[in-house]
Amino acid sequence: MTKINRVIPFLLNNLIWFLLIGIMIFFTLTAENFLTPGNFLNILFNASVLGVMVIGQSFTLLTGNFDLSAESILGLCGLMGIWLITSAGAPYYGSGGELPVWVSILIILSIGVLIGLINGFLITKMKVNNFVVTLAMLITIRGLTLVINNGQTSYSISEAYNWLGLGKIAQVPVPVIVVLVLFALTYIITTYTPFGREIFAIGANRNAAMASGVRPDRRIIQVYMISGLLAAFAGWMLSARLTNAMSSMGKGMIFEVMAAAVIGGISLKGGQGSLIGALGGVLLLTTIGAGLNLMNVSVFWIQVIRGVIILVAMIVEAQKVRYMAPSVNASQKPILASRQPSGD
Amino acid sequence: MRLNRDKIIVFLLDNLIWVLLTIAVVTFALLSDRFLTSKNLVNILVHSSVLGIMVIGQSFCQLSGNFDLSAESILGLAAILGAFVIAPAGAPFFGSGLQLNPILTVLIMFVLGILVGWINGFLVTRMKMNNFIVTLAMLIIIRGLTLVFSEGKTITGIPQGFKALGHESLGPLPISVIVLLIAFAVAFVITRYTRFGRDLYAIGGNRDAALASGIDPNRRIRQVYLISGLMAAFAAWMELGRLGVGATRIGEGMIFEIQAAAVIGGISLFGGRGNMIGALGGVLLLSTFNSGLNLMMVSGFWIDMIRGIIILLAMLIDAQKTRYKAPVTSQAAVVASESQGL
Amino acid sequence: MTEQTAPTEYIVEIKGISKNFPGVRALDQVDFNLLPGELRGLVGKNGAGKSTLMNVLTGIYPSDAGEIAIAGKPFSLMTTTISRQMGIACVHQHSQLIPPLSIAENVFCGNLPVNRIGFVDWNRIYRETDERLSRLGLAIDSRRKVEGLSVAERQIIEIAKALFADARVIILDEATAPLPKSEVEMLFNFVRRQREKGVAFIYISHYLEEIFDLCDTVTVMKDGKNLGDYKVANLTQADLIRLISGAEVERFKHTSNARDAVVMEIQDLTRPGSYSNLSLTFREGEIVGLTGLEGCGKDALARGLFGMEPLGSGRVSIKGNSYHASDTRQAFNQGVAYLPRDRHGYGIVGLRPIRENVTLPILADLVNPTQLLDTRKEINLVTKLTQKLNVKATSIEQPVLNLSGGNQQKVVFAKLTSTNPKLLLLDEPTQGVDVQAKVEIMKIIDQLSQEGAAVVVISEEIRELLDICDRIVVMFKGKLIAEFQTNSPDTTVERILHAVEGTVQAL
Repeated sequence: MTKINRVIPFLLNNLIWFLLIGIMIFFTLTAENFLTPGNFLNILFNASVLGVMVIGQSFTLLTGNFDLSAESILGLCGLMGIWLITSAGAPYYGSGGELPVWVSILIILSIGVLIGLINGFLITKMKVNNFVVTLAMLITIRGLTLVINNGQTSYSISEAYNWLGLGKIAQVPVPVIVVLVLFALTYIITTYTPFGREIFAIGANRNAAMASGVRPDRRIIQVYMISGLLAAFAGWMLSARLTNAMSSMGKGMIFEVMAAAVIGGISLKGGQGSLIGALGGVLLLTTIGAGLNLMNVSVFWIQVIRGVIILVAMIVEAQKVRYMAPSVNASQKPILASRQPSGD
Repeated sequence: MRLNRDKIIVFLLDNLIWVLLTIAVVTFALLSDRFLTSKNLVNILVHSSVLGIMVIGQSFCQLSGNFDLSAESILGLAAILGAFVIAPAGAPFFGSGLQLNPILTVLIMFVLGILVGWINGFLVTRMKMNNFIVTLAMLIIIRGLTLVFSEGKTITGIPQGFKALGHESLGPLPISVIVLLIAFAVAFVITRYTRFGRDLYAIGGNRDAALASGIDPNRRIRQVYLISGLMAAFAAWMELGRLGVGATRIGEGMIFEIQAAAVIGGISLFGGRGNMIGALGGVLLLSTFNSGLNLMMVSGFWIDMIRGIIILLAMLIDAQKTRYKAPVTSQAAVVASESQGL
Repeated sequence: MTEQTAPTEYIVEIKGISKNFPGVRALDQVDFNLLPGELRGLVGKNGAGKSTLMNVLTGIYPSDAGEIAIAGKPFSLMTTTISRQMGIACVHQHSQLIPPLSIAENVFCGNLPVNRIGFVDWNRIYRETDERLSRLGLAIDSRRKVEGLSVAERQIIEIAKALFADARVIILDEATAPLPKSEVEMLFNFVRRQREKGVAFIYISHYLEEIFDLCDTVTVMKDGKNLGDYKVANLTQADLIRLISGAEVERFKHTSNARDAVVMEIQDLTRPGSYSNLSLTFREGEIVGLTGLEGCGKDALARGLFGMEPLGSGRVSIKGNSYHASDTRQAFNQGVAYLPRDRHGYGIVGLRPIRENVTLPILADLVNPTQLLDTRKEINLVTKLTQKLNVKATSIEQPVLNLSGGNQQKVVFAKLTSTNPKLLLLDEPTQGVDVQAKVEIMKIIDQLSQEGAAVVVISEEIRELLDICDRIVVMFKGKLIAEFQTNSPDTTVERILHAVEGTVQAL
């Protein structure tokens, strides 16, 4: 391969990082105080909840499935986490149960796993379309969340609970450490374990995976359980950081999660993508948000720009796929692009 | 015999929505004596009207195999824009002060809808981007623009004449209901009896085959996105009349209901399947459930739960219809001479 | 003064067509003439130029040199519009019909007639389609939705559609690859009847038996050149193979490696709707052919043994131990491996690299004590296997999708051998693979039997089974109906074919 042939695929595969660097350069020049460690920590801090959600979503996306219910699991578990440990009535509006923090955490994580299990079961054993199941679950779980506290916000004064959101280890906020560790862990799992390998295979061709000794149903249920667990965990993280939980917490987040995953290179069709890339997607979106904030751009404009970025990322992705499309034996045949290469 | 059973099953599946609607109406009538009053039934229809218009737009797209997730945001932006140009300036109205006449205002809203529809169509057909992603991104962008534009304030002071579409009645029936029924009738005729409509089915059923038959899929897809945008703007006009004010969050979250009604009504997520009458049935079913459950004083959570289950069931059925694979061997005597044992 | 040429009776006359792609001469001064009503086969290896020639004829590619005349009318430039208008139509492997719509709407797709008001005239559509179909001898209701038709029926409808558009030449491009034999016959009968009306067919395939079955003449292409048009009656299959590959392709001679030790014993296996009372024994080193009509139960048996489908009731033992496989993992663990018939659907994970494909079933064996995959061990193993099987690829990191059909199949073989199977169930192992690769695969199968595995080859290609197997077992409607020893003089293709059809001839 000539030098040029090597450079272009490298650029395209790692596009997200070049974009990130480019964006950072841009903001350094246009915004005050961008290039400070404080700002970077802030970015990572804001990225943490989104990051955990994106990790969860990546697991299901890699198998070729969506988990739209994740945002509702975040909402439900974030609310319940506080609700279970807090006194009833004003001023904190908890359940009155006042359970120990660790019990509450255990319960909400279990709920996340349970919902994931139900999702996975409906999708694999009942063979219902994953988009539909998780969409219905999104609506149902959000409904449940609205009912639990009658729409009232719950407040947390428990330091133990809030530690996940507000604590620091050696000056670094806990959420930042957690999200980086989780990304690293997940990267290792997806790239270097049989589980991860099977996930990719299932996403790329579920039937062929099944014919190769993989148990797709089992794996898919497992990834949905992971997604549910991580969504519950993100709920804890977010409500801890805010020290309160509204019943609308996380509503609409699913779009951002999908966007970050896709921008980071996780294919919506499954079987392709990398967790490192997904981390890049999270960082890109968050950095842009932070940078625009520093430039005093209104929150609403930030949302618009975010949408534009998603669009641009998609355009680039579409071009990239076309450029890197595999060529079939030597010369030929655009019309055979939709046919399989056979022993012609 | 096997052929007959398959025929019956297919017929039932295709018209399931009316079976379900009948069951629902009967059930609620039995459970609540306030259900079958003309007041309530008209109420159901009124609540169906805005959703119904949106579902028409969505169905056109869906038949060709494309999503338009941005429709709810177009609804929102068109509503705010319309309110803005027609309302007086300053508190408590927060309009532009231009106070354009209603016809001009509606035209401006339509132009907006068509413009966004054009952009969607352009990105999907000429830039060859995935329609789900594009319209998802547009949903986010347009909603953001709406927030920017309105600065979170509700616009009031909309003149009565403008609100007529959503507010007034012609005799016993509200105008919005009449418009709804006419719109669905027209949409049905278009999709069943015009080349344009049939092209959509072809494109949704097998895009390559449609292309090979001389149909221009890209042109049609651009057209349906225009229609979807236009319908959203029209629904915005209706919604302004119904609500009375220009609220910033108009249409937010509506996308789920729209998709649900379409799929429940038989418009397949995969494209090429379903009809407008069924879609109307889907809209009516959702509204019926809302009304019936409300009358029974069922709490909000249960309504959401039941709605979720209905969506699930509808899409389960949808998936069954499209999972039908080609049998390996022929059932019928395709070839006349086959039976002679050639 | 130009020389008077006799008015041509050819429906298609192609003279001196050349076509170049960057770096490749796809067509080299090809002549090709077709008479009305002729059934012409078109054969050749991978990249020989068959599809390119057809693409030029149908106007998809402009040629660099040469001319095309259709029905006597010469064209210096061929476009898809002209080609279609002049009556050239093409039916592909992948359906060009719209499943949720009716046959009638498919026939009129893009061309729906409207009444005076401008609305689609449905009555006319159904009526006219029914008329036309019956004129072709097809008794089928045009209101039926295409999705209810079998694959062969759909192909017939596609040909019908072309005929309605007054096609004079219909190109069948690998049209039979997904079809079982019974359906292929139905299709061929239909095609033969159309030739009486003067419609010519060009039949592209590498199922040589079908060429001999259907065609009058065959054109052989090699390296972009037309080697010649031959009357099928004057050729044998060996001749044809020799022409296609350009060399004397060795007829693979297999000598038995069968040992006495039993690998699998099946007793009284019954699965309602698939097979009943099957009793079979497979020994080490044995290659057993399993053949029969579509639906006879041969592939259902394989998939059942492999855990992809229910196996049914009965006793199955492997190496003396009771055998139960409710999924493929259990099958692999007990030493059974299956090569799927549908390579793209079930055989290869196309997007992923060769390395990942080969090790997918044995990941658990490649982990460190830390539970992470040992990449070096993996690379060594895969490199060894792919070299042994002679897989042609740029590296083991190449996505399997990019390989040719034959090499893809070898990757699947590599995957199966990585599990050290005791019993291999191979479902149409040489399907969709060019002639050179076919021989290589037969050698692989032979090698596997030498190493002690029991191999079952499921195929409808009886000649191939005779080349590679020690014995051939025939199934009919779910039952074992006959068994033939390959090296017995009483075993003839004819006798086996009879058994396949359900009649066992007495000697």
